Amino acid sequence: MEDVITLAHGAGGRKTSALIRDLFKKYFENEFLTADDAAVLPAPTGKMAMTTDGFIVSPWNFPGGNVGRLSVCGTVNDLASMGAKPLYLTCSFVIEEGFPVKDLDLIARSLAETAKEAGVAIVAGDTKVAGRGQVDGIFITTTGVGEITPGTDLSGAHAKPGDAILVTGDIGRHGCAILLARDNYGIEADVTSDDAPLWGTVRDMLSVTDDIHVLRDATRGGVGTVLHEIADESHAGISLMRENVPVDPSVAGVCGMLGLDPLYLACEGRMVIFTPQGNAPALLAKLHEGKYSANAALIGEVTSDHPGRVVVTTEIGTQTLLPEPTGELLPRIC
Amino acid sequence: MAEDKTNAVRESAAPEMHFQAKNALAIVKIYSGRPVRIMEVCGTHTHAIFRYGIRSLLPENVNLISGPGCPVCVTETGYIDEAVFLTKKENVTLTTFGDLIRVPGSETSLAGARANGADVRIVYSPFDALKMAGDNPNREIVFLSVGFETTVPAELLCVKRAKEAGIRNFSLLVANKTMDNAYPVLKDSADAFLYPGHVSTMTGMGIYRKLQKEGISGAVCGFTADEILTALAVLLTKLGEGRPFAENCYPRVVTEEGSPAARTLIAELTCPCDTVWRGIGVIPGSGLALREEYAAWDAAKKFSVPHLSGHPNPACRCGDILRGEIRPPECPLFGRTCTPDHPVGACMVSSEGTCAAYYKYSGHGDAAGAFLGR
Repeated sequence: MEDVITLAHGAGGRKTSALIRDLFKKYFENEFLTADDAAVLPAPTGKMAMTTDGFIVSPWNFPGGNVGRLSVCGTVNDLASMGAKPLYLTCSFVIEEGFPVKDLDLIARSLAETAKEAGVAIVAGDTKVAGRGQVDGIFITTTGVGEITPGTDLSGAHAKPGDAILVTGDIGRHGCAILLARDNYGIEADVTSDDAPLWGTVRDMLSVTDDIHVLRDATRGGVGTVLHEIADESHAGISLMRENVPVDPSVAGVCGMLGLDPLYLACEGRMVIFTPQGNAPALLAKLHEGKYSANAALIGEVTSDHPGRVVVTTEIGTQTLLPEPTGELLPRIC
Repeated sequence: MAEDKTNAVRESAAPEMHFQAKNALAIVKIYSGRPVRIMEVCGTHTHAIFRYGIRSLLPENVNLISGPGCPVCVTETGYIDEAVFLTKKENVTLTTFGDLIRVPGSETSLAGARANGADVRIVYSPFDALKMAGDNPNREIVFLSVGFETTVPAELLCVKRAKEAGIRNFSLLVANKTMDNAYPVLKDSADAFLYPGHVSTMTGMGIYRKLQKEGISGAVCGFTADEILTALAVLLTKLGEGRPFAENCYPRVVTEEGSPAARTLIAELTCPCDTVWRGIGVIPGSGLALREEYAAWDAAKKFSVPHLSGHPNPACRCGDILRGEIRPPECPLFGRTCTPDHPVGACMVSSEGTCAAYYKYSGHGDAAGAFLGR
């Protein structure tokens, strides 16, 4: 194969076939992925969940992951947030002319490995090549279908006063890793992305109890944005204990230097959980055994006071509002 | 290596501050002396004070006032107009830190100009702009130089390097300021100042010793809850003694001598000039103009930029807020026509702005105002 992707690789002819055969098929192979126009799949018995997400991270390769791994994690975590076991995934690539084939190989391999880890089959795909400058390296869109675990009823509107709020690990690592990978600030720190497929984590939690009101994966806006979303959707108040929020010391250091709040830095492998207080100890014990949730922590509770707001108890015991996400134009990170 | 060691030593001094802070909180809480007004002049302090809920700890007779220490907030409207004027020149690429881009000018912001086709780029460092000039010899790269002693040295170093390397398509549109001449103007607004931590790393304690002789008091303050409480406790204690003072409550970072190298660079490339502070007026000798021998890197001279005085929205009370005379919620525009999404004044735009801080932490100024403290 050539060293770089050319427009001919996306034209649908022999080069496209060769690319699919030599690269994608090699890694993605499974019983549902065929040369036919659509995948033919057995339907799940219960309810299904379905979601789609686009991934245009810059740089595409970063400490702790790459856009391939990310494009599986993002979609399977959205499914897992609804209590759904991921079953099938489609993925669509838009690749910039001139993109190195060896990099595409690395991305495809990483995507396949992460899908295998998440237990999801890549059943269909598409490849387009855009002219130089029309896309930035590589864009990937994945669509996922999952099977809802019977007995679960998860929604952002289901948080209730008295719920404990847990997070499955230390926060803000993905956003911090990307900021550092861009090397715009001249800061060196040892921070790796937290990107991880979380169906296993959710399955473990559901094995402890299905009495979980809300699960949400904290992505672009970070845990702070999730808390505001749930306070709004559930018309409930949230009380957050700042000292309980797990933050890696390197992430805290970088945030201190740049004036950022780790609560608003992106995660790609962290769930925020709302469950009745009584379930919290058993859930935390189970989470602490997990590969991606060893640092899980109880970070707050839902209150009937101040509905729609997030009130922080600070390190010095005062209470302040957690500012709402500002939607400022940060460079894209996921 | 010597510098690394010094930093490590300063960092290790932090736990001692933590120990002091426990007593500091007690001192602040029981203060029962005469009513005092303390002005924090640094926008980062304003935000840290909100972030830690420090106002809610203060007794009624201690008033914290937010002053004019955010460079974007004190940049006059006319400067934005001058920058917009430059974008209309052929071949000009304007580069700036991100916080300036949404500040309203008389007609439009730089974001508005960019939406209409102007070449305005956000950079993270003036060195990025200098590199852009080196990489694009056919474009004129102008960097918007708006700041205090913290950011000025890096920008001047770029000018110096541009001169040494013969890069003549790089220039600064300068609206830099120094704080030392601002304190005498502000002295009637406050009984003492929380001096800025970052600026003081450059200036050292010398300027505060001088202010002390003029009867102006204050303490250099860091940015953690412990450091802010410690500085407040020191201020309240020293105010009780009734003599002017200058204290360094951020010794793990700020030294007595500051950075002589940075000050030498500033003296070498610039000379003091009178400059307009938005909402405050002209403060003599508080600006930093590029010296004549660097005129070729001074965008105002190079492109014959006319001095524009600007037409800010007359209802905007930013000036009163910057002087600490009113609090943002007392401005008729605050939270109504002026919000972070649709800012009328710079104080609502900048991440360090007083109005932005009040807006963010007040839940938009409604019932949750209780969390603001006073």
